Amino acid sequence: MRVLKLEIDGKAVEVEAEKGKTILEAAKSIGIDIPTLCYHPALEPFGACRLCSVEIEKRGRKKIVTACNYPVEDGLAVNTKSPEIIEIRKMLLELLLARCPEEGKIQRLAHEHGVVKPRFKLEDERCILCGLCTRVCEELVGVSAINVINRGVERAIGTPYMELSDDCIGCGSCALVCPTEAIKREKNIYPTTAEDTRAIEDRFLEGERDAELGVYTDLIAGKSSLDGQDGGIVSSLLISGIKNNLFDAALVVHRKDGYGYKAEAVVVEDVAGIRRAQGTKYLRVPMMSKLEEALKAGKRRIAVVGTPCEVRAVRKIQQQRDLEREFPGVEITLLGLFCFESFDYEGLKERTKREFGVDLDKADKTQITKGKYIVTVDGEDYSCDVRAFEDVVSEGCPYCDDFVSRLADISIGSVGSTDGYSTVIVRSEVGKKLLDATEFVQAEVTKKEIVKLVRFKKKRADKNFAVIMDGLAT
Amino acid sequence: MKVKMKRVDEIIERYKGEEGVLIQLLLDIQSEFNWIPHGVIARISEKMRIPTSQIYRIASFYKAMSLNPVGRHIIHVCLGTACQVRGAPKILDRVEENLKIKEGSTTADMRFSLRRVNCLGCCAMGPVVVVDGNYHGKITPAMVEDILEKYE
Repeated sequence: MRVLKLEIDGKAVEVEAEKGKTILEAAKSIGIDIPTLCYHPALEPFGACRLCSVEIEKRGRKKIVTACNYPVEDGLAVNTKSPEIIEIRKMLLELLLARCPEEGKIQRLAHEHGVVKPRFKLEDERCILCGLCTRVCEELVGVSAINVINRGVERAIGTPYMELSDDCIGCGSCALVCPTEAIKREKNIYPTTAEDTRAIEDRFLEGERDAELGVYTDLIAGKSSLDGQDGGIVSSLLISGIKNNLFDAALVVHRKDGYGYKAEAVVVEDVAGIRRAQGTKYLRVPMMSKLEEALKAGKRRIAVVGTPCEVRAVRKIQQQRDLEREFPGVEITLLGLFCFESFDYEGLKERTKREFGVDLDKADKTQITKGKYIVTVDGEDYSCDVRAFEDVVSEGCPYCDDFVSRLADISIGSVGSTDGYSTVIVRSEVGKKLLDATEFVQAEVTKKEIVKLVRFKKKRADKNFAVIMDGLAT
Repeated sequence: MKVKMKRVDEIIERYKGEEGVLIQLLLDIQSEFNWIPHGVIARISEKMRIPTSQIYRIASFYKAMSLNPVGRHIIHVCLGTACQVRGAPKILDRVEENLKIKEGSTTADMRFSLRRVNCLGCCAMGPVVVVDGNYHGKITPAMVEDILEKYE
């Protein structure tokens, strides 16, 4: 293997000529520290903050480049601390400090470089536009809920049209990498940190805090008289909620008319609407924009049936915005579903065709249970190992660590119950009231089975988050 | 203004399956409708399998693309150095006053969109106002109304 020889601050470095090794990485390997704000080893270098500017010299010519994205070259002489470089860094930090005077990390870096009081007019910004949040969301999580928008002085981080995101899954990766407080102030995405989870539990839920199942008071299995997924409990809860005037409308997901398996979120207000939405669809659909639409249209007492990511999003909005002031009389009942992952519609359709030769759009029912994917077409069941669908799992799901919708008022799923029954976890007074108003046949739950999947999902997410955390430590 | 989704789909169809075509696709949409409507971004996202935020990023970055509907006539008021010293800010003020809109927006009746430019390269004519590509030179604020009246 070819070896590149270069010099950083007078120290010789030998770097194997593997493609893409940068000055920053080479410097790090010999213990030379270059300050950065927009760099993360697991993400593509961006060169936005310019703090890693260094002076390079080759063939007698000097040039200033950013170390994070400049590939090492043979014979390169790098100076990371020349007077000119120090001046550049001081200038950058002075500008950053003027932009974000309240940010601890910027203050620290500025002070380390002897910048105390900027000569420029102070602003009240938090975001330094380093783009770490947008890159982690795009490159690792894969959903790209936020991006850099507009240009020039109006450049900002945001969602399209600054509207509530339907893509954000609230995994909190952006909050992890954000070097400032900026992401936590974003109102259109739902990064839910451990502190947020705790605060939401304290505010909305009651019961014992279980390490695996979250906060809850009751754990039961139930079967309703309805003939739906498992015990048909979600539909019966919704019907009894409407009949008993616990809420006026429900935001549910049903299959789109004429679009086969494709689904959409809709607001329903009667039994027919609820029945039409029966049956699990293993897809992600735009949900938050529909909720906001419903609130703006005057709906106030709404039940929302959602997956853990959607439940997180709703809670985060309740936590962050003063909904009561915006929409007086608002009451949201959250029915959370057990969810291991969802799938990409096109992928699931194509894969279903390939595995079984049947059309997903004609499916009467789909179900994932005990590691098997089962699709029912014309009354006939086709099943295979769900792992065959691994590569059509929705982007983002591997970053979600919640299987049981920990933040819902009441969670429902099939895991833990025998066939024909649904598992129900009651987490709040609201959930309890709803369950009490519903008729069903009760049975035993095997908690062990739920815990197994909770751990399995958490382990997958932890592994992914470790990559982000490790990068922050370096 | 109703956007014809069928036409949008036809434009998307030209690029389907190709990589790195987003800018070109958006420019085609822009030239077809004079702007990039909200629903079209969602449509492109679905068909091209590109997250909406990435499309919005591009569309909000380039001046050649507009995220707001554009009027039947586009007014460019030059605020380059030469026009500036010859009183262009007063011209812009007068246009804004006359149309009751701010630079960068469109009148409610969709008649005019108003934009500023920073030099059109014909400084000798300054102050310059361009409407739909027609150059009006050596403008005074008093002339603004007459010029605008020519465009229905």
